[in-house]
Amino acid sequence: MGLMSDFINKIFKKREVLDTSKVKELRTDFRARYHQFKLLLTANNNALEIMTEMEEALKGTWPFGMNFVLSRCTSVSTNVWKIVRHLNELAPGRYKALMDRFKEIQKKINPIIRSKTRSREGPMFIPLKEVDKDMADQVGSKIANLGEMGNRINLKISGGFAITAQAYYRFMKYNDLQAEIDRLIQTANAKRPDQLYSLSAAIQQLIIRSILPEDLEAVVLEQYRILEKDEGKGVKVAMRSSALGEDLAETSFAGQYRSELNVSGENILHAYKEIVASKYGLAAMTYRLNRGIRDEDVAMCVGCMSMVDAVSAGVMYSRNPLNIRDNSIVINSVWGLPKPVVDGSAPSDLFIISRSDPMAILRRDIPVKKQKFVCYPDEGICRLKMIDEEGKEASLTDEQAIELARLAVRLEDHYGVPQDIEWAITTDGSVVCLQCRPMQQMKEEKTLDMGEIREEVEGTVILQGGFTASPGVAAGPVFIVKKDMDTLRFPKGAVLVTAQSLPRWATLLNRAAAVITGQGSIAGHLANVAREFGVPALFGVKDAVDLLEKDQEITVDADGLRIYEGRIDSLLKETEKPRNLMEGSPVFMALEGASRHIIPLRLLDPDAPSFKTQNCKTFHDITRFCHEKAVHEMFRFGKEHHFPERSSKQLLGDVPMQWWILNLDDGFKDEEEGKYVRLENIVSIPMLALWKGIAARPWEGPPPVDGKGFMSVMFQATTNTALVPGVRSKYANRNYFMISKNYCSLNSRLGFHFSIVEALVSDRSSENYISFQFKGGAADFNRRQRRVFFVMEVLEEYGFRVDVNEDTLIARIENHEKDFMVDRLTILGYLTIHTRQLDMIMQKSASVNHYRSKIHKDIHEIVFSNQ
Amino acid sequence: MLKRMKKRNVNVKGVKSGEEALEFLKQNPVDVVVLDVKMPGIDGIQTLREIKKTYPLIEAIMLTGHASLEVAIEGMELGAFDYLMKPIDIDDLLYKVQDAYEKKSIHGEKIKNMEKGVGLTIDSNNFGTTKEGGAY
Repeated sequence: MGLMSDFINKIFKKREVLDTSKVKELRTDFRARYHQFKLLLTANNNALEIMTEMEEALKGTWPFGMNFVLSRCTSVSTNVWKIVRHLNELAPGRYKALMDRFKEIQKKINPIIRSKTRSREGPMFIPLKEVDKDMADQVGSKIANLGEMGNRINLKISGGFAITAQAYYRFMKYNDLQAEIDRLIQTANAKRPDQLYSLSAAIQQLIIRSILPEDLEAVVLEQYRILEKDEGKGVKVAMRSSALGEDLAETSFAGQYRSELNVSGENILHAYKEIVASKYGLAAMTYRLNRGIRDEDVAMCVGCMSMVDAVSAGVMYSRNPLNIRDNSIVINSVWGLPKPVVDGSAPSDLFIISRSDPMAILRRDIPVKKQKFVCYPDEGICRLKMIDEEGKEASLTDEQAIELARLAVRLEDHYGVPQDIEWAITTDGSVVCLQCRPMQQMKEEKTLDMGEIREEVEGTVILQGGFTASPGVAAGPVFIVKKDMDTLRFPKGAVLVTAQSLPRWATLLNRAAAVITGQGSIAGHLANVAREFGVPALFGVKDAVDLLEKDQEITVDADGLRIYEGRIDSLLKETEKPRNLMEGSPVFMALEGASRHIIPLRLLDPDAPSFKTQNCKTFHDITRFCHEKAVHEMFRFGKEHHFPERSSKQLLGDVPMQWWILNLDDGFKDEEEGKYVRLENIVSIPMLALWKGIAARPWEGPPPVDGKGFMSVMFQATTNTALVPGVRSKYANRNYFMISKNYCSLNSRLGFHFSIVEALVSDRSSENYISFQFKGGAADFNRRQRRVFFVMEVLEEYGFRVDVNEDTLIARIENHEKDFMVDRLTILGYLTIHTRQLDMIMQKSASVNHYRSKIHKDIHEIVFSNQ
Repeated sequence: MLKRMKKRNVNVKGVKSGEEALEFLKQNPVDVVVLDVKMPGIDGIQTLREIKKTYPLIEAIMLTGHASLEVAIEGMELGAFDYLMKPIDIDDLLYKVQDAYEKKSIHGEKIKNMEKGVGLTIDSNNFGTTKEGGAY
């Protein structure tokens, strides 16, 4: 007997050991899977966030550089790669083909964002005597034009040479500068002006500290010695920047880059580096950013010319720059070097000369010039005080002015477009051309004269007053924006009317014709963006939202502070079109091109036969596909492994409907034996938050249906098998929770109503997120869609970002603190239950209003009042 | 960055190059390595390759100022735990290090289950990092 019991004991003990080791192994396996799953979710969430950010950027309301394009594309790829890997580890061997899909997509993105390697052939210098305008791609347009003037038009220019783009690339490559500059830009992530300023300073210092390749040094010094032979020993030079690659945009950018005057031979090399560094001057960097010009596309060429010791000098335009119809020549002139004219720092003489034959001086303004700039004998330039008599004298004789004007006309004839010419007159009285470029043609400068009411215009004034936030006149139909939801429907070319000038409406400005707000500030973001985009904006029109009606055609005169009924063509004539500053730029196109393989989502319906690996065409498709499959694989684990402690259990207690729970890891306080789990034993933060909302109010059953609503349900029933008795879908009326302490997903299918909540909530607020999908309904499409918009409206009020696609709603919110996320989940729990059958009543606005106020009241009581 | 990690109770050590890192690993048990891609001497990808070859259990996180799609995927395929870009929030980096450590310990546990008694000793509080000199 004793022996027997001993034996039995032994057997049992052995069995116990086996069991515990088996369980331990399973538990480890499960922990590994859950870990993969969690990492997949984080990567999934990161990928979606970056896609949203890219989408925002493509709206073009804020400028971004190549570093943005590159880092976002890299980051989204890394995250999608991780998603694929984690799914393959969850289900070894099952999704191998996905990696091939990933690689094919990545191969398409690579060439769009990769920097082009430049292996230009060509010399590092070109003597000015050999330069003409066809060499702009080697010496930059400024020096190319200078060469053209000297060699093709036979005007007098200084002797010298150009240091080419090839030299620039050589210098950058020698020090591996581009990679280091890109690193500085990426790491600084500069947004505020002060950050941009220190970034600009850091890059410029880096360039100036870098070493010039020996062969480049030798070439430059050799060229200088040749110049000395022609112009005398120790000749001083002017070194002018001549950027290559920015001419893509049809603008001139005077003064963005550095030029060094009166440089001695020994300092040429240093000055060269300073001018190259000025590519990263603050204004130049900001300009490229705003216009979407790739950094690497701009090469800095430098012209090195013997210094002209000017008696007088200045700038002239071959036409009136303020009025395109006026073909008079305009000359600004000072004594000494032209610096005060170029930078506008001191008064200058003005001559306006008619193009008539013979030419005549139409106007001559000669202010007192108190100072002039001259060359120091050794190096550099200095400012000299002028004695009264000299300062009062005109810096040009009438003959000289006419001679200059003829020259301007000659240049315009040669180039075929109006020209902007910098010139100097030397001690022997001859005119030397310093540079020329196409003139920037402006309209008459528009000033922000606030409160200035225009002369009477024919038309009915509806509203008057406010202040100009962005000048101009525009017309279009009124569209009133109150909620984010309204922005989705905002038509291109409408007038944005809103109560407050909130920054978030800025994303509409590339679609809006004009903006009217009830209140706001002209220094605010919306006003800034309106000006940037050239969209007329009238702020502070008190009753605008009440008095203007949707779709009403109006004309907004932001300068005259008036709003007219209909289109007033006489006002509209003067205005130009608004612009998206970045659209079409190389940076914008890089992002747009890459995003085509990233953002679009075609795999929407997991039940559709097309929901397959080979149909993943974008990173978004892969992300969506993997997420769906990962959830599936996690559920399968419980089924496949017959692991009682971990398989799904039914929620026990006084709860309506059936709720099944799969504990992924640490979602229960104590391990549960048997088939049920009590609510008290659940420690999942997100699930408890959801449950609070689900259980807060008893469901009152379906709302009273309007007659048509019922008919619509009956019609649906004939086409949807899930409504037909006996053909019950296996998921009908089942709700599945998957939980851990910080994670929860709820798939809930109540008849026709299908929703998924997924949430990760912990102290890591940067990983926190909630996503909510809502679809279906029994009523016809129209009503279902109305309900979706209804839910959208409610969710937006609580900070969710909502997308609606037909009758499917997807809402997300992320990165908030734990408590905030918990409240949002409670709201979702409530909505999941109580908006179920609202589609039935969506036709009657009275009952819609009733439910809207009931929902708000409930949410307020459940979530916000008992804290 | 080292200082800030130490403040958060991470046992962390910094070295200045790939060579130094490999030398350090010979002498010291390490769980997680954070490494830059561009470094003096052997680059980050090569360092990663060496680490994964000799110490397959060590998890490596790449952290770089030079965003590059190709390098990112190459690193991931070599077994990097993640590829991150500067600037990065110190807490986010720490979360990644924690996740990488969790992965490593689960992996270690699995091996223990398989080969009872041959188990590896893991110094649970050792995070090693290598970094580019003076870049932080």
